[in-house]
Amino acid sequence: MPDSDDQTLPVLPDGTVHHGGQLLHNLLLFGRVCKVLGMDITPNRMIEVAHALAYVALSNRQDVYHTMRALIVTRRRDLEVFDEAFDLFWRRPTDDWTMLNLPAVGDERRGGMKFLMPAGANPSGDTPNTKPAPELTLTAVVPTYSQHEVLRYKDFADMTDEEMASARQIMDKLPQSLGFRRTRRLKPGKGPNLDLRRTLRENMRYHGEILTLPTNAPRFKPRPVVLICDISGSMERYTRIFLHFMHTFASRMDQVESFVFSVHLTRITHAIRHKSVDHALEEVGTTVKDWGGGTRTGEALRAFNYRWSRRVLGRGAIVLLITDGWDRGDPDLLRHEAARLQRSCYRFIWLNPLLDLPQYEPLTRGAQAILPYTDDFLPLRNLANLEVIVKELQKLNWRQNSRMRNRTVSLNR
Amino acid sequence: MFETVDSIQQTLHAQDYIAERGLATAIFLALKLGKPLFLEGEAGVGKTEIAKVLSRLLQTDLIRLQCYEGLNASSALYEWNYAYQMLHLRLLEASGADRDEMQAELFSRRFLQTRPLLQAIESSAAGHPPVLLIDEIDRADEEFEAFLLELLSDFQVTVPEMGTISTEQPPVVIITSNRTREVHDALKRRCLYYWIDYPSFEKELRIVRTKAPDVEPLLAKQITAFIQEMREMDLFKAPGVAETLDWTAALVALDQRALSLEVIAETLGVVLKYQDDIELLTPEVLQALHERAALQAQSIPG
Repeated sequence: MPDSDDQTLPVLPDGTVHHGGQLLHNLLLFGRVCKVLGMDITPNRMIEVAHALAYVALSNRQDVYHTMRALIVTRRRDLEVFDEAFDLFWRRPTDDWTMLNLPAVGDERRGGMKFLMPAGANPSGDTPNTKPAPELTLTAVVPTYSQHEVLRYKDFADMTDEEMASARQIMDKLPQSLGFRRTRRLKPGKGPNLDLRRTLRENMRYHGEILTLPTNAPRFKPRPVVLICDISGSMERYTRIFLHFMHTFASRMDQVESFVFSVHLTRITHAIRHKSVDHALEEVGTTVKDWGGGTRTGEALRAFNYRWSRRVLGRGAIVLLITDGWDRGDPDLLRHEAARLQRSCYRFIWLNPLLDLPQYEPLTRGAQAILPYTDDFLPLRNLANLEVIVKELQKLNWRQNSRMRNRTVSLNR
Repeated sequence: MFETVDSIQQTLHAQDYIAERGLATAIFLALKLGKPLFLEGEAGVGKTEIAKVLSRLLQTDLIRLQCYEGLNASSALYEWNYAYQMLHLRLLEASGADRDEMQAELFSRRFLQTRPLLQAIESSAAGHPPVLLIDEIDRADEEFEAFLLELLSDFQVTVPEMGTISTEQPPVVIITSNRTREVHDALKRRCLYYWIDYPSFEKELRIVRTKAPDVEPLLAKQITAFIQEMREMDLFKAPGVAETLDWTAALVALDQRALSLEVIAETLGVVLKYQDDIELLTPEVLQALHERAALQAQSIPG
């Protein structure tokens, strides 16, 4: 952030207005830079900046900075990038200064290495964007009934790319929302509340005789959904399909917040919202820094509770936690944070890829810690599970009691 | 009235509000450009206070609209008084008025209940633009945001039965948000945006001294240093400036001249509002914080 008051702007070396034309030019150029950096810039906005600058002393760098910042930045996360861009752009021109520096501004903040996808997250061993040429021996999967049946019970971890594509087709049947919440807003309809406004208006036509009594009914809205997915080492084989799962959610529903964790919690809401799934996964790959690390579920949930819950759990959200319950952190912390998470959301659902295995019992310390606080405990290991989950999720709505603990749906297979 | 950012900053200070340069610039521009000022920040950093101070400093009314879920035009803009209308209807019937007469009578000014937004526009139209505070917009729903968007762009209200009320000189609009939900970009785009952060040590000390002039200088420094240390911790809800001031008032009421460990432990509930956070401050942690705060307070002259 610029701090010195007396520094003059580069475009106005004497502090005079002689080069006003150049200032406007540079201003528009700066607007473009900000736009490229992801800020919400419209031509109108830049006209406003130009107007606003007429009111402040152009020789005072700090005032110019604050003026531009107040008009250009509309989100907190842009503040940092804006400061960096401002510093870089509005400085005394030097000989070696070129426009080429500018595109790098955002990258510096994102910092260093670019991961695409973890190698291990993909069971077939290839990375999604450097796909080897398809082998000639491979035949296309014809979606006949029997094959479909086999596929339905196949472990996600063992699926080929084609099978994954079929899995996506099933995922596309996910409901558009996970149940509805009754809002405080009313609409005309059957209900207990008289709508006085309409009563008076409608009855004017009967010459003031009250003959009809229109009522109001509550309006319903889809609940927000929060997805928290484990991407640690033990979940590696499932990571890819679950990211697809999250992408489907994010693209089908309105208010979806997505997070992944292994050692740290990372918010991927914006990254995963891309239309194309490949694009989205690539973006997630660059955002997340700790693929396949150890699992610290307690810390991750704590980070979620402390940093994000207030912003994303409002309005009766449903939380889906995807993890196998293998945890190396402190079980007490996990218990505490899981309990807090359950208290602050409408419904806390645990999706576990291991649950469907016949020999699996939630005995690990992590599983023991989370289990008492989940409202639903569902398996997510193959497409059949996914279909059950889709059905279960469709049934979720405001009429049901939200705190029916430990409802386990077992599948006969 | 205010020709420079400096004059705004000084006047705010004279009104006991310590504003950073950036905030003063944003307020200055909001007044000059006639645009709403959108303030975001953690709870208790003085967002709402700005509107109050601004109304004092401009010597105008403060009209406040507290947002909540389900807030609609009839609670924000205007509503007819239906009970009176219906009573009046009976009277009109008895007097044998015809339909047009009835309509004109029933929807006349005396049955109109103005709500904050219409009040603000009417006062502006009458030549006294007030400060309009739209508090905690994130609590209202998207539908209300869309409604507000329209209102803020042309400051014009149409009551079908009475006609259009508009104003050339818009009110000074302050919108605050605690970020329990992202507010739509379209609304932010129409506003000047400012993020109010927790204040620095120096700034917070000035705030404490200004707001509680009778506090012992040493105590003020210790309180500020202690709160600043606390904000460094991983708390569920870090104390805001509001908490600092409450705590100062509490310690002054308890006749304290310097921070002591016992009193901190007894009054911690003024500062921390979550049991988890209070548990985090074990006697050892308290002692460490206390020592560091005392050290920092000593190193500051004055």
